[in-house]
Amino acid sequence: MSEYQQFLQERDQIDILLQKGFKIKHITENLSGAFVEFEKRENHDGESDNETLHITTPEARKYFSIIMIKQQTEEA
Amino acid sequence: MADLSINLAGIESPNPFWLASAPPTNSGYQVQRAFEAGWGGAVWKTLGDPILNVTSRFAAVSFNGQKVAGFNNIELITDRPLEVNLKEIYETKKRFPNHTIIASLMVEPNQEQWHEIVKRVEDVGVDGLELNFGCPHGMAERGMGSASGQVPELVEKQTYWAKEAAKTPVIVKLTPNITDITVTAEAAVKGGADAISMINTINSLAGVDIDSWNTIPHVGGKGAHGGYCGPAVKPIALHMVGECARNPRINIPISGIGGISNWKNAVEFLLMGATGVQVCTAAMHHGFRIVEDMIEGLDHYLDEKGIASVMELVGKSAARYSDWGNLDLNYKVVAKINNDVCIHCNKCHIACEDTSHQCIDMLKDPSGTSILKVREEDCVGCNLCSIVCPVDGAIDMIEIPSGLPPMTWNEREAALGAASCESTK
Repeated sequence: MSEYQQFLQERDQIDILLQKGFKIKHITENLSGAFVEFEKRENHDGESDNETLHITTPEARKYFSIIMIKQQTEEA
Repeated sequence: MADLSINLAGIESPNPFWLASAPPTNSGYQVQRAFEAGWGGAVWKTLGDPILNVTSRFAAVSFNGQKVAGFNNIELITDRPLEVNLKEIYETKKRFPNHTIIASLMVEPNQEQWHEIVKRVEDVGVDGLELNFGCPHGMAERGMGSASGQVPELVEKQTYWAKEAAKTPVIVKLTPNITDITVTAEAAVKGGADAISMINTINSLAGVDIDSWNTIPHVGGKGAHGGYCGPAVKPIALHMVGECARNPRINIPISGIGGISNWKNAVEFLLMGATGVQVCTAAMHHGFRIVEDMIEGLDHYLDEKGIASVMELVGKSAARYSDWGNLDLNYKVVAKINNDVCIHCNKCHIACEDTSHQCIDMLKDPSGTSILKVREEDCVGCNLCSIVCPVDGAIDMIEIPSGLPPMTWNEREAALGAASCESTK
């Protein structure tokens, strides 16, 4: 799989979580790339749903960064 | 015709082209010939206690048929008594009152010696002084030149001593043989310098003779490091000029030096923040009359741009020179191969396939003709294909929208920091 195809796949994974109402909660960057933790707060019992994506392509790392900046701007 | 005259820290010159302190400015005979040819100014070969030289002294690096791509020298400062130089400076200034003569000076780090040489040189009517804190060989072993220029405290102190005695503007010439030239540039500012000039030569060994095993050059079978200059050092010099020009604490004019070979090179230095340029290697390679092309080319350039004075160019690109962290990560260019111009040498394909990102395909068009095509989605816009392409216009680098807003690395790091992210970096 080309790096571009891999990027598209990772971007889709990010988009799907965003469409489901998840937001970026925490990011860990290390030698393996980026581990992006998403959180979706539940309404009734206060529990939240969490998902983590392992992002390996540089373009996808740019992509989630833009989303995170946008998220911070909206929350500010 | 545009106004080519410059004013560098109060030093006026009919044009921005000066000969740098070096073998071409060793004597009155040479400097007067240079002024007759059209050079606006000359920085006299460094004055100080007369030295002894060795033979041989020069070596050049040729590359792919390009003679003198780089130039190396182990010649020292003047080997003539101060009185002889002063007499010739006086005569030259008298004959060419509108041309600029700067005296390059080098003495031991001692207040009295700086005061003495400054006074004696100014008495013969120089337009300014250039303190040589850059010569990397020979003199440095005696505590002068770059040995002084690598120690910010010594740069500041000696500049201060020179300024104590000086009535004309003081230019401090900086060595590139240092990690961060802005540190010594700031030291010169603190010492009261009116301007800085850069770069002096870079520590170098031109080569080793693989038959005799001698260094190039060698002196009876032994070699010593020299100073490297010429076209090969231009990118290093341009960077250092840019770093100083964009530093708000270095708020004095810059005289640009380093590999300037033609008017276009000069324009680059002016745009990056130099108020004028100094040339040596190109004059040594081609003679003083190269300045005719430099003046003509610069004049035409300014006229074509509708610019009235060369001073209007100074620093126009400096603000565009920044840190990597301020560059837009989402700006995107890709290669576009024009197959009607392409000669199908396949160098771009080989370069991309072997050493870059494997995004140039060798295909056949419907008529069976070989074509090269870039897969834009995989192209990272590195420029390598267009760099290795031997045909002008065969490969264009074109902007394409990334679909994402601009984002710099610094903005990204700030956002990650705000989100309490973890990083092992």
